[in-house]
Amino acid sequence: MRPKVVITGMGVVSALGIGAEANLSALLRGESGVCAVRYLPTEHREFPVGEVPMSGEELRQRLSLPPGIYSRTHLLGVLALREALEHSKLLQQNALALISGTTVGGMDVTEHYFPAPQPADRDIHDCGASTNEIADYFGCFEYTMTTSTACSSAMNALIMGKLLIESGERDIVVAGGSEALSLFHLNGFKSLMILDRERCRPFDQTRAGLNLGEGAAYLVLESETSALQRGAEILGVLSGGGNACDAHHQTASSEDGEGAYLAMTQAVSDAGVSPSDIGYVNAHGTGTPNNDASESAALRRVFGEKLPPVSSTKSYTGHTTSASGSIEAVFCLLAMREGFLPYQSEYQNFDEQCIVPVSGKECQRVSLHHVMCNAFGFGGNDSSIILSRYE
Amino acid sequence: MNRVYVTAIVKDVPAEEYSRYLPPMKARRMGKLQKRALVTALKAMEISGIGEPDAILNGTAMGCMENTVQMLNGLAAEGEAMNMPTCFMQSTHNTVASMMAIYTKNHGYNNTYSHRTVSFELALQDAFLRLRTGRLRTALVCANDELTELQLRNPTFFGQLEVLDRSEAWMLSVEPGGNPLYEIENVRVIHQKGAEDRAEITKKAL
Repeated sequence: MRPKVVITGMGVVSALGIGAEANLSALLRGESGVCAVRYLPTEHREFPVGEVPMSGEELRQRLSLPPGIYSRTHLLGVLALREALEHSKLLQQNALALISGTTVGGMDVTEHYFPAPQPADRDIHDCGASTNEIADYFGCFEYTMTTSTACSSAMNALIMGKLLIESGERDIVVAGGSEALSLFHLNGFKSLMILDRERCRPFDQTRAGLNLGEGAAYLVLESETSALQRGAEILGVLSGGGNACDAHHQTASSEDGEGAYLAMTQAVSDAGVSPSDIGYVNAHGTGTPNNDASESAALRRVFGEKLPPVSSTKSYTGHTTSASGSIEAVFCLLAMREGFLPYQSEYQNFDEQCIVPVSGKECQRVSLHHVMCNAFGFGGNDSSIILSRYE
Repeated sequence: MNRVYVTAIVKDVPAEEYSRYLPPMKARRMGKLQKRALVTALKAMEISGIGEPDAILNGTAMGCMENTVQMLNGLAAEGEAMNMPTCFMQSTHNTVASMMAIYTKNHGYNNTYSHRTVSFELALQDAFLRLRTGRLRTALVCANDELTELQLRNPTFFGQLEVLDRSEAWMLSVEPGGNPLYEIENVRVIHQKGAEDRAEITKKAL
């Protein structure tokens, strides 16, 4: 029997606020954090974004770091990780493992100084340096690892964390991801012509692209035995994970959503449940015409006639790219704990290519036992996890 | 627990050999790293006789730097009027592992680790644990990095991290096959604040 992987802590920062409770209350009210740009020094004010509502300087002070050069990915990551470690009562624990997903890493610093090198006396640019800076704020990590698969990075970190615990390598793994907005990827997505000038409308017939967001989230994954031994509060179970490659195109998803279909099917099977057991799906749902149609096709293939309630929370946070998998996993845990379905308050127009998401003007109360969360990245890197109630 | 064998190791296939594995028409639109990475992977598939591995994993310290630096140069030269879609989509760290999967139509597990000098070892650890516990039967594990003009001129431009200009591909399998090179017994990675991350691969020559 492989050990059960339970969740004993979570931390999140997004455009909806700092901390799980701030994010929860925004989700319950259906309020969006996507608005005109405030902190990213971009000329492209026509694209709304989901920024964490604090400047770099405010973030630094909140973390009591000395004045200096810091990547926003680093600061957001520390904030979310601190909440997760506090929540799980692990701040005094040593010899922990951290798996963090990012693609931007310290690019916000690099691009600020380019074509001159950044002047700090430590490495900031690369993804691994970014993860290690986040880890070393605490000093309790003896194993660090960075997944970098674009928008599925944090979810792949969760899947790898689950593997480390199931294979007996580790008792506790903190996994998730952090990603700040950068001019590099804002202008990259602009070049791909998939940014919406309005707030994004996932699965809506009028959808015209995504809004970029930023943030970080970490989950404390732990073997059930370890959690019970230390008397940790168990928030849920990471019961399944799946990853597959769409193998279709570097940025576009296949029409039938083959990669997404395989990832979801594997996640369900890994969790030892059937599709009909899933009570809610937090879709990748970026708001691009291509993603939402392809993901809908895949969802129909997995669930057939019995499609569970599905929604995307990206119109609230923006697409938090590498961090989206863990941010949305936290949303799923909150939905399960509080018994509600995250809803798309601004969904209006049915599209026959798409599933119909949970919408309306107020929150539906439900009892959730198993939920699915999807994250898909460039290169057709498709991942899906199942989170279950601990019972 | 399965035993885990390395059945092929290929390093930096020279450019003269590329056309044996990759039709020049297809190579034309690929960057330097992409070509070398793909050909090195295809040669490992050929030698091991495993053309459809269950997984493709890559470790890269810095990712696709040629495209990254081009994007940065574009931003510096043209400001935010720049428009470089192809460059951007090929700048993400997982471009190489994805391109291998797209080229060989491989829908299997696909992951990329970008964690300083131990990126490859982390990819190897992921594959090793999945093979040992029966989640996979075969896995292609690669290491790929490139050095741009900018880095050759100024090796510390992006930091002190030492980047090796290399493409390497290991084929792993739970079956020894006809000519196994090693058995992998363990992969360990260690982080210590203030020191460079370290990795230990315990392998037995066969």
